Amino acid sequence: MSPVPDQNPRIDRIADAIIQLTSGNLDARLEPSETGDEVDAIMVGFNWLAEELAIRENALQQLVKERTADLEKALETVEHQEARLRLTVAELARSNGELEQFAYVASHDLQEPLRMVGSYTSLLKRRYQGKLDAEADEFIDFAMDGVNRMRALINDLLTYSRLGREERPLEVTDARAAVDRAVANLQTAIVERGAVVTIGQLPTVMGNFSQLTQLFQNLVGNGLKFCKQNQPEIHIDAERNGPEWTLSVRDNGIGIDPQYRDRIFLIFQRLHKRDEYEGTGIGLAICRKVVEQHGGRIWVESEPGKGATFRFTLRAMDRLERAA
Amino acid sequence: MNFSGEVVDILLVEDNPGDVRLTREAMKEAKVRNQLHVVSDGVEAIAFLRRQGTYANAVRPHLILLDLNLPRKDGREVLAEIKQDTDLRRIPVVILTTSEAEVDILKAYDLHANCYIAKPVDIEQFLTVVKSIEDFWITIVKLPPR
Repeated sequence: MSPVPDQNPRIDRIADAIIQLTSGNLDARLEPSETGDEVDAIMVGFNWLAEELAIRENALQQLVKERTADLEKALETVEHQEARLRLTVAELARSNGELEQFAYVASHDLQEPLRMVGSYTSLLKRRYQGKLDAEADEFIDFAMDGVNRMRALINDLLTYSRLGREERPLEVTDARAAVDRAVANLQTAIVERGAVVTIGQLPTVMGNFSQLTQLFQNLVGNGLKFCKQNQPEIHIDAERNGPEWTLSVRDNGIGIDPQYRDRIFLIFQRLHKRDEYEGTGIGLAICRKVVEQHGGRIWVESEPGKGATFRFTLRAMDRLERAA
Repeated sequence: MNFSGEVVDILLVEDNPGDVRLTREAMKEAKVRNQLHVVSDGVEAIAFLRRQGTYANAVRPHLILLDLNLPRKDGREVLAEIKQDTDLRRIPVVILTTSEAEVDILKAYDLHANCYIAKPVDIEQFLTVVKSIEDFWITIVKLPPR
């Protein structure tokens, strides 16, 4: 039997190698004594383990590298798409703004020549009505009628395009005050038609007072207009649905065929001949724009002959309601 | 009454012949005898007031009706020049324009316009406005001597 080498220094070397390995040195190896005893076996085992660890570590690092590259590529694609999307949105906003600017300038600049046509037609009428023949009077009246319609169109178009141009911050607004103002603005028509306007409990909302007034005025005005057979009855109300209020304007007029319920909110869409019901076809488009600028939705529920209920949503203001 | 029997001279600075004629028509219905002098841009307006060139024999107007949007020299510049001139600044200047823009109104008063009127779209209202200008600036207001 050859003498057994001193066990302790070899065990120390093993312990040392383990420490090196665990602290990240994957090259740590041991040299067995070639006696082939148990300690040598442990050393061989250690070397084998260290080798295996190094291989796996390399494979893992390779994998991480690949995955990172893949991720970076994917991220780049997403960023690229996002940039393109942002560009598209900006482009859309720009072209929308340009369109609104165009509508504004067009309607504003059209006022000037219209004022001339209107003024001189009125002057003709003032000076010569009844002094020429009956046909001349009729011609002048047709011209005046055209001027008045064009004036209404230009005014509505200006209102519509202004809505896009002047983005006003939303403020704490009493819906009831806006309704009261709208009803006051319509007082003449309400008295003429013998209409009954009733108003339920209305909330305080986040909104723009003048825009909301315009909104109620257009909806109540429609209720008065599209009600030839009977005495107009219009009811304005509100109900709470989760984080928002749904306000409603209900009338007892001629109603709307459901197939037109989306078309009516588009600009210049009219469902009636001019001699039946007057109008520019801009009123409900203005309503939709106001509601959309308030972050809400507007729709109509109606059947022909059974009146119409226009509903729109506005953001509720919880915090302030609780404080009140 | 300021002008019993006397002719009132009014300078109208307006580039739109249609508006000039309308103002003339309205002035025809005026109670006071008036002479409407018309120039169609800002350069001519200043030449008229300073009696320069072809306007050497121009009268000094009692009142100026000034449009804001004018060719060559616009109404704001004309207004500024008039109100910086120690002699001309005493002539009341009525801004008569189509603009209802707040920025135009503020600017005009900042430049010491005597009043600002947006031309009404309706002819009856336009006639009323011109009549009111006449009533107020010619029969009610005490003006400085020429």
